[in-house]
Amino acid sequence: MKLKYRVIPKGAADGAMPLDWVFIDEKDIKKAALTNFEAVKVIANEYKDSYAAVDIVDLDAVSVTSDGIMNPIAVTAIASVDHGMVNKTYGYMPISEIPEYEGIFEDEPHMRQWHLDQFKGKPLHRGPNAKDRGTERAGHNENMTLTGRIANNNCGSEAFNMVEMTEALVFMSAANELMRDGEVTVCVAGPEVSVGIGMVVSERWGRIFGGANLGGYKAGMSAHNSGEYAKTVKSDYPAFAAPKEKFMKLMLDALDTGLIVGRHLGPSPALISTAHAYGTPIDIDHISDRAWIELESVGISKEEMSKPVAKPYTREEMIAHAEEIIPGMKNAKRYKVSDVVDIKEVEVDPKTIA
Amino acid sequence: MKCMHTKLPDFLAKMQAAAKRIRPETKITIKGLENIDTAKVASLRCGRIEEEIYEVTQDPDITEVELRIVPFNPEVIYSSIAKGYDASGKCKIAILDDLAADIPTVEYYLTDAEVIDDRRSAGHKQTQL
Repeated sequence: MKLKYRVIPKGAADGAMPLDWVFIDEKDIKKAALTNFEAVKVIANEYKDSYAAVDIVDLDAVSVTSDGIMNPIAVTAIASVDHGMVNKTYGYMPISEIPEYEGIFEDEPHMRQWHLDQFKGKPLHRGPNAKDRGTERAGHNENMTLTGRIANNNCGSEAFNMVEMTEALVFMSAANELMRDGEVTVCVAGPEVSVGIGMVVSERWGRIFGGANLGGYKAGMSAHNSGEYAKTVKSDYPAFAAPKEKFMKLMLDALDTGLIVGRHLGPSPALISTAHAYGTPIDIDHISDRAWIELESVGISKEEMSKPVAKPYTREEMIAHAEEIIPGMKNAKRYKVSDVVDIKEVEVDPKTIA
Repeated sequence: MKCMHTKLPDFLAKMQAAAKRIRPETKITIKGLENIDTAKVASLRCGRIEEEIYEVTQDPDITEVELRIVPFNPEVIYSSIAKGYDASGKCKIAILDDLAADIPTVEYYLTDAEVIDDRRSAGHKQTQL
């Protein structure tokens, strides 16, 4: 039996990628008659002399970006492997399905996107539940796996090498492209992305925050809460994103449902700029002063966002002008997925998973 | 009354002695506790590790021992204490904050080992393929 997987190898994207990052489709794991953890052991065995972050994804499930945008892909398990090993306690973490609970659409208004035709009825995976996190992870432990030098954090969207001090980001929209043979854009994450990833929504079992109780950071707040420093946090690391016109469509879908940036959705630079250009409401006063400091530090002023544009773009114009509307990741290079990803197959040795 | 734990300096001295018990010229380096000024160490574990160092030196080829102490939970939260002193030595202010550090797990230190013998508590063992 063979297991198919994809890897962005170290050195991919003209040298931008600092570490190997493996992506496995759950369907391919099932085809190989393996469990998700067994698949990780198979990959670990492939890395007997090296190391990698591992994301297992379900292309028929949905998840949510940190600022509240639903995506047609979900990470269902993460792992870190180093020289054939997986740390038993911290090296692997499943991310179980989150059933629709009573009151979810009131407590988490951004989840109304789940009613959209393209997402309706699909299983939701965001962050781990208590059982997924295991008994040894403490309250301060993030949704992260660690083995040896490799950490895979925030449910599979940022990976580090803790010895070489290198890191990469693969946004959910990019993972979707990687798994569906689309295109990705790659460049240094930069200040706008750094600020954006802190503008989270409040969720139960979120990818970054929240457990049985809602996460404490509400839409309109900054989880980084670091003033002008926030823009520096990921300013040196490469990020893989979907081409802007692709995630523009997802943001417009969310705004078309009536969700309001700053109240229901995080005011990330991408979302607040999109809402402003599209002429949909922004809850200016609900965005905290601390969040405004971070937005102003990347050139998004409260004054400008408070003034509606004279002639909002249509949906088609928004998509056509996505590159200029969505700030950040300027001069990113666009790649076909086949140019940055190796597709591999490994014969499963039963001894490996015993 | 005697404390049923081992003082940190005693722990370090015992490990040094254990490495040199068979061959006094055996070198030993202990890494991972450098910044801890004072601590009491669990005595039984101290004894176990002392015996393990002695066991490692049973092989006549061993000329050097490294004892590496790493946190079991690799996501460590420290509390930082920034203290300001005046010329008389009086501490006028102390500001506390959190400092998080992600630290490589034990596997990072095992990649060159020919034999790995994991004697930790059952729940703490790594998966080794």
